[in-house]
Amino acid sequence: MPKEKKKKPEWYPLDNAGVLYSAIQKETYSAIYRFSALMTERVDPAALQRAVDKTMPRFPSFAVRIKKGAFWYYCEPNDAPGPFLKKDIANPCQPVRFREDNGWLVRFYYYEKRISIEVFHAISDGGGTLVLFKTLLAVYLRELGHVIPNTCGILDVNESPRREEREDAYARYAGKKVLRNPLGGKAYPNTGTPEPFYTLNVTMGFLPLNRLRAKAKEYGASITEYLTAVLLKVLIDKQHREAPRKELPVALAIPINLRGWFPSETLRNFILTVRPCIDPSLGSYTFEEILGRVHHYLRLNINRQQMRAMLTGNVRFTTNKLLRVIPVVLKDPVMALSYHLAGVRPYSGTYTNPGPFPVPEEMAPHIQRMEVILGQATLPRVHCASISYGNQMEITFAGTLAEAETERDFFRFLVQAGIPVKVESNRLARSDLIF
Amino acid sequence: MSYCVNCGVELDDTARFCPLCHTPVLNPSQPVNISAPPPFPDERGEVPPAVKRDAAILLSSMLVSVAVCCGVLNMFLKPERTWSVYVIGAAVMLWLWLVPPLLDRGMHVLLRLLVDVLAVALYVLFIALNLDGWTWYMGLALPIILWGGALLLLLGLTLWVKRRSLLTTVTVLIGSVGVFLLGVELLIDRFLNQSWEPGWSLVVLTVCAGLVIPLLVVRRVPSLREEARRRFHM
Repeated sequence: MPKEKKKKPEWYPLDNAGVLYSAIQKETYSAIYRFSALMTERVDPAALQRAVDKTMPRFPSFAVRIKKGAFWYYCEPNDAPGPFLKKDIANPCQPVRFREDNGWLVRFYYYEKRISIEVFHAISDGGGTLVLFKTLLAVYLRELGHVIPNTCGILDVNESPRREEREDAYARYAGKKVLRNPLGGKAYPNTGTPEPFYTLNVTMGFLPLNRLRAKAKEYGASITEYLTAVLLKVLIDKQHREAPRKELPVALAIPINLRGWFPSETLRNFILTVRPCIDPSLGSYTFEEILGRVHHYLRLNINRQQMRAMLTGNVRFTTNKLLRVIPVVLKDPVMALSYHLAGVRPYSGTYTNPGPFPVPEEMAPHIQRMEVILGQATLPRVHCASISYGNQMEITFAGTLAEAETERDFFRFLVQAGIPVKVESNRLARSDLIF
Repeated sequence: MSYCVNCGVELDDTARFCPLCHTPVLNPSQPVNISAPPPFPDERGEVPPAVKRDAAILLSSMLVSVAVCCGVLNMFLKPERTWSVYVIGAAVMLWLWLVPPLLDRGMHVLLRLLVDVLAVALYVLFIALNLDGWTWYMGLALPIILWGGALLLLLGLTLWVKRRSLLTTVTVLIGSVGVFLLGVELLIDRFLNQSWEPGWSLVVLTVCAGLVIPLLVVRRVPSLREEARRRFHM
């Protein structure tokens, strides 16, 4: 009888967002984001490592490594030891290396009372990662002796993972008709002086959610719409102060979580972005006008039919017979260029709002607040992200540039609108450089 | 709690200045708390350069394979002439150009230039040995390569080690072409006639000087430099 062969790990292809983020991966750039929870007590690293070890097997779509095939990148289960908890660092969201750190694309950090998770965007989006993070926090609190039920989206780590959680939801919902948005023109780039590699300047603002909601309601808008309009207004004014010969349109990339529109339990990527845009060369806009345009644009363009047609186009890209036979080494630079033309050049920045972070009431007393950081952009520009927990909204600006003009104007605008803001930054750690 | 007098935002107790506008915190009723941990850690994490060992191995094996194949073919095709030396020499030169930077990612640009120039000298040496041309190699080829190499090292020092503006870079590059060709003519003249009568290289040098002068003027006059920067988005 022949000996039983060692079973080869079961591979699976990346979804189309994963294909893109792997293709634009460079030595100096990776699409990474971070979620953090500030606990009420100092973190116990041993308990947290035990929690990571118990949680990761329940989330096989995160316990993967990405490998470069001849024609595409692909995912393979990662059975290497880890991921191991690390002490936090001042410059988060560092680029990943597919072949180093045992191929892990998920990192866990702790600092004082803060627990952080960093994820490479090719394996999951914010929606999927928050499920993992919430489950991890629940398991960690159980390790400390608290009783936490599996409600509010916490998965049971004793269950075996379900197939639906690993599905490629883009492929599942792809239709027949493709909607191709015309390539947006060049937007105001909002770039600054690049910091030395690798630096990520993070500035966080904390504000009371009820005050923010009331303010947005005054204008008849949602919180996302209000904050998008504030950011657009700040960028329009910034460009105007710089007095260019021709004012360019100001546009933002707003990722939309598709799970709310297309029922799916996937923990992999399932997002699309929309592009609210204001063209100041047509004339000056008041804040109310900007907010009105953002409000109507988002309501008009975010609908099931249009989004389905958009994602169909993206899925077609990975199933195109001609593209399939082009080797990955040739595909990478072409995809990097097309990402620059379609995903970087037509935008002045990104604003993402994963929304509230509901937890079971047994868990709430142990978490002070939630934080989110959108990692570096391909250019030295800031990205904005926000998350709310309880009555606290957290807004982060992060970028590899030295200037803090965008975030300064943004938070000053909110203060002037009557919303109190508390600011924390990792720039403080480098105060000696400034004085 | 302290607030920034400029921005109106509340600051962390450990903040010594406002992170948005760098205004120092001077609050006599509540001095900066230096004993509490700051909101973010101080310790920076370093990003190691990616290892390119696999690419180096692949490239080395490809070059070795080409060299061996041509060496074997040479035994059957025109064996009276050792033509494969050119291919093997080219493979050695390419290896020296491409593989050391892959293995040592932090290799200094000047060291890299030195290795590259020596690789060219080595390749030409192969050719010279094969053609029995020791005289022209020592008298002409090696001095020209070393002269070019010295200029390249100088360029590396002025341009790569310290970042220069686009205007300076173009000026220095055009100037070096003129100087390089002047040296080439000097070396050729000395090899052939044992004397130096500058001719064509002077024409090239004058053209280069003509190109450089307006650039130098723009570089030296602040208003012109600012205008050029604005027009060309530099």
